[in-house]
Amino acid sequence: MAAMPTMPNQPGPPPQPSQPGQEQTSMQAIRHFGQMSLPDESNLFHVLPIIGQVEGHLILPPRNKTTKYEHVIPQLVAIEQNPKIKGLLIVLNTVGGDIEAGLAIAEMIKTMSKPTVSLVLGGGHSIGIPIAVAADYSFIAETATMTIHPIRLTGMVIGVPQTYDYLDKMQDRIIRFIVDNSRVSEAQLREMMFRTGELVRDVGTVLIGEEAVNCGLINEIGGLGAAIARLKMFIENPGFSKQRRFPYQPASMPNYPPNYRQMPQSFGGYQPGGGY
Amino acid sequence: MLYSIVPNEDIWSEDSVDYNFHEVMIDGFMVQVEPIDGASGRVVRVISTDPQAYLNPTFQPGSLVPLGSNRS
Repeated sequence: MAAMPTMPNQPGPPPQPSQPGQEQTSMQAIRHFGQMSLPDESNLFHVLPIIGQVEGHLILPPRNKTTKYEHVIPQLVAIEQNPKIKGLLIVLNTVGGDIEAGLAIAEMIKTMSKPTVSLVLGGGHSIGIPIAVAADYSFIAETATMTIHPIRLTGMVIGVPQTYDYLDKMQDRIIRFIVDNSRVSEAQLREMMFRTGELVRDVGTVLIGEEAVNCGLINEIGGLGAAIARLKMFIENPGFSKQRRFPYQPASMPNYPPNYRQMPQSFGGYQPGGGY
Repeated sequence: MLYSIVPNEDIWSEDSVDYNFHEVMIDGFMVQVEPIDGASGRVVRVISTDPQAYLNPTFQPGSLVPLGSNRS
C-alpha cells in the first residue's frame, strides 16, 4: 500500500494540482471539509456490513456483490486494537458464501473482547447465520429472513463414500458453531436444515423475523435504535456482553425486558425521541 | 466451498460487463474506485467499518477522486 495523498490536519495542496480553475477549488474544499476534526464520540462504534456473497478462497465473477475476507479480517483486528472504538455493530444482508471465510469472520467476531451486536436486515442466509449468532447479542428486523439449508457439493465430485463424509464434516462445523453460540438446539437446527416440507429449491427452512427469535437462533426483534441501545448498555456494563455467550441463559442472569424501550435507564436505555 | 442460497450456476456465470474496480487508500480509508483515466477515478463504495467515513462527501459514490501515487 503506497503513501496516503494527504495527512489529516495538514492543509497542503491536493495531490493533483494540475487541474486548473473551479474544479480544483471545489475539490480542495471537499477534501478540506472531509478532513475536519470530528468529535471523539464518532469513533465509539464501528459498523461492519456483510453484504452479498461472503468471498474467501475464490474470487467470484464481478457480477456478484461480495464482502471480502481480506477486507473484513484486518478491520476486525484494527477494531480490537483501537482503544477509541468501544463496540462493533454487524449489519447483515447476505445470501451466504464461502464456508471457510464465513466461519473465519464468525470466529473473529466471537472472540473479540469488545461488545458486538448483530442486526439481520433483509436476509441473513446460509453462512450469514453463524456470523449473526457470533455476536454477543443479535437482532433481526421483523421482515428479515434467514434460510437454513444443507450444504451442497457442485462441480467435479468423486463419487465415493468419503466425499459424503467430507460433506457431513463441513456441515457439522456450521451446525456446531450455531448451536454453541445461540439458544437453538442441535436437534431443532438439523430438523430445520433438512426439512422437506418447505420448497426452497430442495430442502431447508426459511425463518422470517420472529420465527428466528422463537427458535432461539436470534435474541430479539429489533432495528437500528435497539441495536445501538444494546451496544451502549454493553459498554456501560463491562463484562456483561461476554456472559451472554451461552447456549442457554444461566439462571443467575437477570432477565432483561425483551423490549428495548423498557430497558432500565441505568443501562443506557433507548428513549424514544430523546436520544440516549 | 460455498454455502449460499444463490444457485451455483448464477454465482459462476460470467458477465459480459467487465468491471474495472480498484481499491485505493484515501485519507486512511479504503475506497473502491473505477478509474476514469490515469489521474482520477469514480467512487464505487467505501470499504471501512468507520461509520463517519460514509458521511465524508469525498467518498460519496459517483464523486471523483484523484488517483496518484496512492494507487494500490
